[in-house]
Amino acid sequence: MTAVSTPARDGVRSAGRSMRSILAGMPARRRRRWPFSPWHLVLVPATIVLLFPFAWVLITSVETPSEALHFPPVLVPHTLRFANYSDALASAPFVRFLVNSAVVALATVLCNLVLCALAGYAFARFRFLGRTALFAVIMATLMVPFQVTMIPQFIITKWLGVHVLAGVGINHLGALILPNAATAFGIFFLRQFFRTLPIEYEESARVDGASRLTVLVRIVLPLATPALATLAALTFLDSWNNFLWPLIAVTSTDQMTLPLGLATFQGAHATDWTLLMAGNVMSLVPMLAVFFIAQRYFIQSVAATGLAGT
Amino acid sequence: MAAGSVARAGGPRQRLRTQGGATVRRVLDSEQVTGWSFVTPGVAIIMLFGTVPIIWSAVLSFQRSTLNTSGTGFAGLSNYRQLARDPVVAQAIQHTLVYTALFVPGTMAVGLFLAVAMNRKIRFIAFYRTAAYATMAISTISEAIVFTWLFDPSYGVANYSLSLLHLPQQQFLNSPSEALFVIAAMTIWGWTGFAVVVYLAALQGIPRTLLEAAAIDGAGPWRTFRRITLPLLSPASLFLTVWLTINALQLFDEVYLSTQGGPLHATTVLVYYLYDQAFQQFNFGYASAIAYFLFLVIIVITVIQFRVGRRFTYYRS
Amino acid sequence: MTIPRHRWRGPLAGLLTALTATAVLVGCGTDSGGGSGAGATSGPIQVWEGYTGPDAKAFAHLVAEYEAQHPGQKVSTLFVNNDDTLQKVLTAVRGGSPPDIAYLYGSWAPNVAQIPQVVDLTQWVKRSGVNWGDFWTGERDVATVNGKVIGVPALVDNLAVVYNKKLFAKAGLAPPGPDWTWQQFTDDAKKLTDPAIKQYGSAYVTPGTEDTVWHWEALLWEAGGQLLSADNKQAAFATPAGLASLNTLRGMAVTDKSVYLDPSDSNYATLFNSGKIGMLVTGPWDLGNFPDVEYGVQVMPSYPGASGGHQTISGPDNWVVFNNGSARVSAAQQFILWLTAPAQVKSFSLATGELPTRQSQAQPSLSQQMNAALPGVSTFITNLANVQQARPQIPQYPKISQILGTMVVSVLLGKSQPQAALDSAAQQVNQALAGT
Repeated sequence: MTAVSTPARDGVRSAGRSMRSILAGMPARRRRRWPFSPWHLVLVPATIVLLFPFAWVLITSVETPSEALHFPPVLVPHTLRFANYSDALASAPFVRFLVNSAVVALATVLCNLVLCALAGYAFARFRFLGRTALFAVIMATLMVPFQVTMIPQFIITKWLGVHVLAGVGINHLGALILPNAATAFGIFFLRQFFRTLPIEYEESARVDGASRLTVLVRIVLPLATPALATLAALTFLDSWNNFLWPLIAVTSTDQMTLPLGLATFQGAHATDWTLLMAGNVMSLVPMLAVFFIAQRYFIQSVAATGLAGT
Repeated sequence: MAAGSVARAGGPRQRLRTQGGATVRRVLDSEQVTGWSFVTPGVAIIMLFGTVPIIWSAVLSFQRSTLNTSGTGFAGLSNYRQLARDPVVAQAIQHTLVYTALFVPGTMAVGLFLAVAMNRKIRFIAFYRTAAYATMAISTISEAIVFTWLFDPSYGVANYSLSLLHLPQQQFLNSPSEALFVIAAMTIWGWTGFAVVVYLAALQGIPRTLLEAAAIDGAGPWRTFRRITLPLLSPASLFLTVWLTINALQLFDEVYLSTQGGPLHATTVLVYYLYDQAFQQFNFGYASAIAYFLFLVIIVITVIQFRVGRRFTYYRS
Repeated sequence: MTIPRHRWRGPLAGLLTALTATAVLVGCGTDSGGGSGAGATSGPIQVWEGYTGPDAKAFAHLVAEYEAQHPGQKVSTLFVNNDDTLQKVLTAVRGGSPPDIAYLYGSWAPNVAQIPQVVDLTQWVKRSGVNWGDFWTGERDVATVNGKVIGVPALVDNLAVVYNKKLFAKAGLAPPGPDWTWQQFTDDAKKLTDPAIKQYGSAYVTPGTEDTVWHWEALLWEAGGQLLSADNKQAAFATPAGLASLNTLRGMAVTDKSVYLDPSDSNYATLFNSGKIGMLVTGPWDLGNFPDVEYGVQVMPSYPGASGGHQTISGPDNWVVFNNGSARVSAAQQFILWLTAPAQVKSFSLATGELPTRQSQAQPSLSQQMNAALPGVSTFITNLANVQQARPQIPQYPKISQILGTMVVSVLLGKSQPQAALDSAAQQVNQALAGT
């Protein structure tokens, strides 16, 4: 395998230039015909398809109620009504719902990152008695729909609230955090990722006398930033949008999370579409912000991945 | 510095070897202890809130329909026998499997394509990536509304496009033979972001040196992709296959919000049937039996996927 | 390899702050609501309801009024979408923390009656203050299961025809009169259908759920048919009346193609509001969804010569009381008594446009007042007198509903012939009733 600094075949261009071309996905030799990358021609239509339903959500959120009650949906409204947003905020304590959702989501993400990294690493690298069986047992928890386990989970949560700590019992935010503080998904995801990392660094650090925890924190986790960022983003999303468990576990309005709050716009027969979509847009913004931040970590520093001599 | 061999470039099963058997035993012991101490916090939570409820509910599947808190008696295997004879269960199994066969490869293919497209530092790349993630963020009800509109036989874009191409109009969600495909399209759209995100993370782990070397050696982009990138992505692919399958086999929300299992049970999948039995027909015991049957199906399929996957996945260490 | 430590500082610090904040907030979590167990003291009573929009405001107003009149008695309400209430109630019941009062669909009544914590109100409704007979027949039938009263009526509605006046005028059709027949409905629908502009004469919802079924049941009753035998042990709809009702649907959907088939259960309303549908068979709840259409309301058409007349069907919902100890039960009953008293029924109806749940309140003056705010609702109020029976209140009804839903949808889609569909459904219903 050649090292990084070998010049490209055509000899005229510098190694840096050829690296850039490769990063751009094109062979080093082709000259650019357009002022922009041709990948935009793929990504723009793809993005339109991906974002189209959002366009509908956004447009509906600024329509008047009567225009919202049209089918096919009106895509160019005659009148815009931004008051939908203030109406939505006024109709229920949305700021409280937002805070509740944020607290639950952030706590869940933090717990997951810590607990799933520990467990995922152990499953990936250690050999201990019962490892395979234990992994199978926790994977099994992914294979049963929530409707089946929600009643026992309710009973357990209620018991914990009464006998262990009030803060994790029914109608407390802790009850929304604790059951999801670690998930088999997170452990499975990180285990897969950790296994793709070459073991040499960890082993050499162990030889140097580092404890396994130090190896995990100082060596493995920095290498795993993309995976951790991904897990954080996905866990945040899951927690933010979680509806069924909060529905069951929350029994007073001030402990409601955003999805429950948005449901207040949906009646049995009549749905307030404009307010619901305004609420949806407000709910989407934090999620997109989280991802926008997280996706920066998808590009690792070259030093971390450029493992010379592999 | 400990004497003895430095780590070999072998698999993760390679253990450090140090001097003397006593040290080996110590290493072994501490690996047991460390291993268990690392997994315990996370596993404890999962077991308390996952495993225990599952076992608890399993007991329910052996009872007759129970609205009474005290249960109405042990019904033995009668719920399972009913399950074996129920024609709707057979249909639901078929629909679930067909849907899974459409959804999993579809989502992975689209996700991989888009992830490769988004794995570069061009302008607006943050925006494109956020757009992909956003499909996961949208509420299922909005997704359902937009897709039922797009595929509406009279007013939807899909039939309009078909008419422009002089193709016959379809009934889509009104047609028992087509409804499941529309649901598959809807969910592939919704899960593409997830596949993109996972593949993007995995693509970051592919060393530039390998790709450059291949280019320098004259390999075209497609060959590089097939021979280097894809195999190195195999752990992510295995993860996606397993996870998407587990989710596909448990499809519920989109069916509940768009077709309610119809038309004529064409989109009744196992979890929807389970929900219907539990909360509309009030047969909780029977619903639990269906849940555990599905559970077995998922376990079998997942184990098969892991076994087969082991032969095709390439872990770099 | 040195790992730059500063890379972690920022996000880690941020997350740790969040975690500390969480710990503080969680620890100080409020304990309001969700009280459990039987107690001697009567704390706040918990009401789970699904009111939205103007209904929610009116209900909150009523609750505030009650609390003002009864100092010391708090009523704490929680919004739960009506479709989700059953799941939440069942879980809470199994977990030992039911609410005090919950708003539950009438169609769930036969199974709700089996929940042990549900309070039997049979004796309570006989008290003079309640005036049980003042509630509509359809409501009382739905609140009573095997002689046991398990709820107090919270809502009543019925089905009638809402039509687009402009489309009728454009097609040169006379608007429907109170004596019209299904043949006229069919003819009107055909004339209102224009495939070129994608306009339909009428619509029908086709998810195959109870919504599909109850529209057809009204036709069955009008044709003089019955769903089940008097003892609820046999299917009784595979009769000429059943055939007539299905033939009406088939003629319109398959032969004339004048029916917009809606699997989503909500597009039909927005389509009507967009002027694309001529007539809808629907209830008063939809009137608020038609701000852009000049509509009229008429009773459902009849089958000439049939005993059913212009009968309609109603879908009442109940307030159900749960047992959390005698003190809370009596507090809950007191609240329900006040809530469903004539004065509150009247004020709620005026504020929301919901039909009055008491016969004594269905006065012309109230009707007129409500009609001024919500045109067409007065026809629905007078139509309440056309509700003569209710659907069978048996635990197997959900299963039967599914069988019937499949039957109706398969006829509408042209997948089966009416007689064959009726016979097959009757056979399955008999099996379901026999318990196999």
